[in-house]
Amino acid sequence: MNKLQKHINNSNISKFRLVFQILAFLLLIYGGYLSIDLGTSIPTFACPYNQECPGTCYLISAQHQVHNTWASLFGFRGKALLAGLLSFVLLFLILNKAWCGYICPLGTIQDWITKLRNRIGVSFSRYDDLSFKRLKTIKYVLLVLLLIIPLGMSNSIFGLPLLSHDLSAPFCQICPGRIITPLFVGDASQLFVDFTNATTMFMSSLGIIVLALFIVGSIFKKRFFCFFCPMSALHFLFSKIALLRLNKNGENCTKCGNCYRVCDVGIKAIAEDIDHSYIVKDDCMMCLKCIEACPENDCLKASFLTLPVFESTEEGFFSRNLHLDHEMQKPSQKVIEDEKD
Amino acid sequence: MKKIENKRYERLSANSQKRLVIESDNVLHELQNESEDKITGLDYFYDVAGKFARGQLSAQEKKKYIATNCVQVPIELIYAADAIPIRICSGAYSMSQAGDGLLPAKSCSLVSATFGAIYTNSFPVDQEILSIITPTTCDQKKKLSEIPTGIDQPFYTLELPPAKDSEEAREYWYRSVKKFKRKLEKITGNRISRRRLKGAILKVAKAQQAFRNFHQLRKEQTIISGTNAILVANTFFYDDIESWTRHLNDLISELKQRSDRDQTVVENNNPRLLLTGSPSIFPNLKLPIMIEKMGGTIVVDEFCSSNRLLYDTVAVDEWNMYDMIPALADRYLKACTCPCFTPNPDRERKLLAYIKDFQVEGVVYQSFSGCQLYELESLRISRLLEEANIPMLYVETDYSPDDKGQLATRTEAFIESLKTNQHN
Repeated sequence: MNKLQKHINNSNISKFRLVFQILAFLLLIYGGYLSIDLGTSIPTFACPYNQECPGTCYLISAQHQVHNTWASLFGFRGKALLAGLLSFVLLFLILNKAWCGYICPLGTIQDWITKLRNRIGVSFSRYDDLSFKRLKTIKYVLLVLLLIIPLGMSNSIFGLPLLSHDLSAPFCQICPGRIITPLFVGDASQLFVDFTNATTMFMSSLGIIVLALFIVGSIFKKRFFCFFCPMSALHFLFSKIALLRLNKNGENCTKCGNCYRVCDVGIKAIAEDIDHSYIVKDDCMMCLKCIEACPENDCLKASFLTLPVFESTEEGFFSRNLHLDHEMQKPSQKVIEDEKD
Repeated sequence: MKKIENKRYERLSANSQKRLVIESDNVLHELQNESEDKITGLDYFYDVAGKFARGQLSAQEKKKYIATNCVQVPIELIYAADAIPIRICSGAYSMSQAGDGLLPAKSCSLVSATFGAIYTNSFPVDQEILSIITPTTCDQKKKLSEIPTGIDQPFYTLELPPAKDSEEAREYWYRSVKKFKRKLEKITGNRISRRRLKGAILKVAKAQQAFRNFHQLRKEQTIISGTNAILVANTFFYDDIESWTRHLNDLISELKQRSDRDQTVVENNNPRLLLTGSPSIFPNLKLPIMIEKMGGTIVVDEFCSSNRLLYDTVAVDEWNMYDMIPALADRYLKACTCPCFTPNPDRERKLLAYIKDFQVEGVVYQSFSGCQLYELESLRISRLLEEANIPMLYVETDYSPDDKGQLATRTEAFIESLKTNQHN
């Protein structure tokens, strides 16, 4: 067992993640061809606007389930809402935020864009501290809106008139997943502006604008969209009791900042917080790159229940890094490329 | 008149160099005869130290050399520019005497020795030094380049922020390092390419890996005296990095074999000490030698010339220039525990971690007279150690051998008191 653990700790988890993401992507985009059904409470962007998607993103279900009058929400509709929430939470608890880092197809697409940018050799940007703090609240605002708007369609909130039914599933209307994921099965039907009335025109154009931002943004900023994702906000409400955990032993931290450097979402606390053991923050996607970059033994650690999954070790850090050295020694196509620049 | 001055200068230079050789030979002699049971892997390190004193580090090779001061100069960039960094922070008494005449009275020995070496042109290599890089660490170091001496030396001031945790500091340092890269390309005439820099980072990573293995090994067992360990790390900045790494790995395997045979050179019951403060750089090993002679064992040190030198790593996310340079910059800023940074709680945390990991029983804090930063930080550290219930000996000293008697009495008393603690 110890030997296996050592082998895992020395391994390159980013490579594993790359493969895992591709498989998850194939499943969530093309699973329908195999008649797979994963239910309606998937805690990640499994978008049923794509006909072949084998499940339903919980945000869609939630938006529909709260689209009811107060009376029915306290009746049997409420039970459906609770059952949906419960199955969402149960699924989420297994993988915690790794749903974002390992499974979410939108996350995967952004990672691919990042890889492409890296290949070309274009730099990426980071938010400064202040923008980071300000912008990160947006996802909570979106989460509240996506729940309140459907409620406002069936109930009068604060005595306001009922909202138009054209706002149904409001987040889906602006979510880039609705347009992008069907494209992978050759369906471009979601790429349109609905000219029925002002509301539909506004929402569908907003959807296209968000899509454009999604693509352009993720070229310049790693995981650009995730920072604003309401699913991520919803996740975080339950993250503290999840089974897959990321912990930090502050005593062994030298504050070298390696973990923050490699963090795709730019969480500073991972490097600076030496007081809290549970270190998953709301923007975290549990890609575990921080563990790879940590050269201290027993400092950062991912575990499932009490079982260690992946730990930071000095040996692992150097074996990953010096592996690159062996690659460099090999004469290959790369050398010729580099000679040129 | 001019002629007399020139003659005087030449005499000073030649004399200082001669005395440096004697000084270093004396120290090496003392180390080599320290015990009957010799560790053969150490011979290389003694040899390098001896060559350093003779200015013969590079007798055969024709290479470009860049002199560096302090621990914050990104040597990976220098390697990537196909040049060799040589750190010139000096521990030589002869050099400090040469420098003293030109500096204010209360300058610290390390600074006056470094200055003396620069002034008398006593570099450890007998080839031209392209530039002398000085980061803006302590006031004395950074002002060295502005002392009027009449001799032109190619100084370059590498701007280092006075703090390290803020975003502003990092940004400032990134730009400073980028500027340094361009400067290096200019003075060496070599372009720092992506591939070369990657190679340099990985080359240093190999040395770091060896060094960390050495560090871990010392955690488990006291198989080497602290003075020798200090010298081993110290020689890192004197020799070719690859050969140093190879020899350190050899030394590690020899030490491992010895520990398997229970063949230790160090008394196991000696009080376990941590040495910190102003760095003991070869040949100024006065204090560590004294401590170990008096029956203490230095199990770990926190000097910028040894343990702080190689420990911190570079983590690159995307192996392109735009990410490698900030990654490199971070290695020299974020985890560095130099007292020139304010605030500096990381040094306190590091000391506490060492105390725990190496089961340290007492701390010896060295301050060179005139070294304000270490003197000032000693106040916080002594309070911290008092709370942690670890006895600390504060030693103010310099490079002269005059206070050896007084030091012997004080260290002996300290070590004896620790031994009494052990018995209780």
